[in-house]
Amino acid sequence: MDMENKNTPANADEIADAVEETVTAAAEAAAEAVQEAAPVSLSDPDHPVASYVPDCAKPDVHEAHEVGEGMTKKEAMKIRMRNMNREEIAYLRKKRIYEKCWPVFRFLILFGLGFVILTPLIFMISYGFRENRDMNDPTVMWIPRNVTLRIMKQTINAMGLTRGITDNNPLVNTIFLNIGCSLCQVATCAVTGYGFARFKFKGRNLLFGIVILMILVPVQIISIPLYDTFRNFFFGNVNLINTFWVMYLPAIMANGIRAGLMIFIFRQFFRGLPKELEDAAYLDGCGPFNTFLKVMVPNAASSFLTVFLFSIVWYWNDYYVASSFFTNKETISTVLKNLDGTLNKTIFNNASAQISAREKIVWLEAGCLISITPMLVLYAFLQKHFTEGIERSGLVG
Amino acid sequence: MKIPYERRKSLYGYGFISVWLIGTVLWFLIPLIESFCYCFMDNASLKPDTGGMRKIWLSFHGTEWLANFKYAFAADPQFKQNLVSVLRDTAIQTPMILIFSLFIAVILNQEFKGRGFARAIFFLPVIIATGPVYNIISGNIASTGADSGAQFSTLFETDIVGDLLEFLGVMNISASLTDIINTVVTNIFGLVWSSGIQILIFLAALQNIPVSAKEAASMEGATSWEYFWKITLPYVSPMILANFIYTVIDSFTKTDNAVMIRVLAKQRDWDYAYAAAMAWSYFAIVMVVVGIIVAIVNKFIFYEVE
Repeated sequence: MDMENKNTPANADEIADAVEETVTAAAEAAAEAVQEAAPVSLSDPDHPVASYVPDCAKPDVHEAHEVGEGMTKKEAMKIRMRNMNREEIAYLRKKRIYEKCWPVFRFLILFGLGFVILTPLIFMISYGFRENRDMNDPTVMWIPRNVTLRIMKQTINAMGLTRGITDNNPLVNTIFLNIGCSLCQVATCAVTGYGFARFKFKGRNLLFGIVILMILVPVQIISIPLYDTFRNFFFGNVNLINTFWVMYLPAIMANGIRAGLMIFIFRQFFRGLPKELEDAAYLDGCGPFNTFLKVMVPNAASSFLTVFLFSIVWYWNDYYVASSFFTNKETISTVLKNLDGTLNKTIFNNASAQISAREKIVWLEAGCLISITPMLVLYAFLQKHFTEGIERSGLVG
Repeated sequence: MKIPYERRKSLYGYGFISVWLIGTVLWFLIPLIESFCYCFMDNASLKPDTGGMRKIWLSFHGTEWLANFKYAFAADPQFKQNLVSVLRDTAIQTPMILIFSLFIAVILNQEFKGRGFARAIFFLPVIIATGPVYNIISGNIASTGADSGAQFSTLFETDIVGDLLEFLGVMNISASLTDIINTVVTNIFGLVWSSGIQILIFLAALQNIPVSAKEAASMEGATSWEYFWKITLPYVSPMILANFIYTVIDSFTKTDNAVMIRVLAKQRDWDYAYAAAMAWSYFAIVMVVVGIIVAIVNKFIFYEVE
C-alpha cells in the first residue's frame, strides 16, 4: 500500500460507511499487536519494526490538519478514504464481507458437526430411559413417551454390577486393573522415556526403533504367543491366565496397552526440558535417579497427568486384551460386548416375554450409557488436562 | 575404582531403560518372533485341540514353506477381498480425515464465543471411540434410522452429483466419483468420530506457529486464504505426516477392520498359522505403502531449522 495522493473515487461516500468500522478496527488491532510485540519500537521511529506498521495503522501525520478534534468518526473516515486507492478499498471491502459472513458459516459448521458427535450420546440417553414398548410406537423418535428407570436397573443387574466386591464384580475388577496398571505404566514409561531422552549409550537408536515398532505392531499379532507365554509361565510351572498378573506384569515393565506411544510422548517431553536443570542438581552431588525424581518429575507434572488420564481411558476401553486372557474374570468392556448374550440368557429367557430385536436396543443402550458414564464424568471435570496437556507434553515438535 | 564420566552416563542410561528392556523382551519381542515363526509352521499340528501346540516347521523344499501364505491368498475365500476393501477404504478415508481435522483445528483455533465448549465436544470421541461402545451404538443407530449422517446423505441418493457430471459430459468418471462422495457423506459419522486425536495434534501444532509469522503476514495484508496456504500449511506440515501415520496405524489396528475380523476368526478356529500369515502379510503391505508415502511426502515438508 503506498501513500500517493490519488484522488478518491466518486463513490467514496457510499463506501465510507461500509469501510469505516473495518479500518478503525484493523488499525486498532494492528497497533495493539505492534505494541505487544515490541513496545520500544513505537517510540523509536528508526527501529525497523516501526517502519512495517501498515499505513492504515499509522497515525496520519500529514492529515492532521484535516482530521480535527471536533469531527465525528464518519467524517474523519471520509477524509481518510479520499487518500486510498482502488485496491485498498477493495481489500477493505473484502475483509469486511469476510468478517461478517465467516462467523455465521463457522457456527453452522460447528453446530452441524457437533450434532453428529453428540448424536450417540443423545441417542443413548433417549433410548436408555424408555420403556421397551416405546420402540414399537412409530410416533416416538427422540423423546420417549414412557420414561422409566426399570431398564437401567435390569441392565445393571444383568451386567453384574450389583455383585459383591470379591465376587467378580466387573466394576471392581475394572477399577482395580485400571488405576493400578495406569499408575505402574506411567511410572515405568516415564523412567524409560527419560533414559532415551537424556543418556547416550550404544544401541540407543536401535532400541528406540523397538519402541516405534511397539507403536506400529497391533496387539492382535502377538496375542497368541503371549497367551502361550502366560499359560506356561516360568518354564511351564505357573498358569497366569485368569489372574490379574496378565495385565499387571506387562504394565509394571512398561509394556502395557499402548506403552510405546507413552514412552514416545515422555521422551519427546523430557527432551524439551532445559538441560541446565539437571546439571545444577548433578553439581550439587545428586545421583541421576534422584535428579529424575526431584527435579524432572515435578517439572513434568502436567504431562504425567495427561498420560495418566489417557492410560485410564485406554484401559477402560480395552476389550481385546481382557477378552484374550480372561475367561472367568469380567471387566466393564467385556461385559458390555457380551451384553446381548447375557440378556438373552437372563431377561429374555422367559418365553412369555416376546422381545423383538428392535426392543432389545433399549437394554443395549442402557448398558452403553452405564459403561461410559465414569469416563464422561472424568472428562467433564478434567477436560482441560486431556486437551491442554497434549499441547504441553511435547507430542508436537 | 574410577569409571570415566561418559561411561558412567551410558551405564545410567542402560539403568533407566532396563525395566522396559526386560519387559519388552518378555512381552513383546519373544511373542513377536514366535508369531513370525508361526507363519512358517504346519497349521494342523499347531492347533491346540490335537494334543497341545506341536511346533513343526514346514519343509524348506521348493515353495512348500510358503504354504500358509498360499492358503491366505489363494485358498481362503474372504481374505483377499477383505484386504482389497480395507486398503481401498483406508486410501479414501485417510486424506479425508486429514483434511477434515486440519479444517476443524483451524476453526477451533480462532477466537470466538463458546470456543472451550466446542473444543470439549470435538475431543469427546477421543474418550469413547476406542472402546466397544462405539461399535454397539453405531450399529444401533443405523438400525433405527436415526443416523444423522444417513439422513444427510439422502440428499445425495437422488444422485445430483452424477447428473451434474453427466450433464457436463464427464460420464466416465462420474460413477466412481459419486461413489467416493457417497462414501464420504454416509461415513460422516465415522469421519468425525475417528478424527479426535488428529484434531488435537493439529491444534497443538497451530498454537506453536510463532507470533512473529502471524504479525508479519497481517502487516503485509495477507488474506486468511493466503495466510492458510503460506503460513499455516508449511508450519503444520510435519504434523500432517505424523497425523497421516497415526491415522493409518489407527485404522490398521482397529478391531472392526475387515482383515482383523478375518484374522481373529481364524484365531478362534485355532488356525494359528493361517492367522499369523494373514496378519503378517497385511502388516507388511501396510508398512511398505506407508514407507513409500512417507519417503515421498518428506521431501515437501518444511522443517524449521532447529
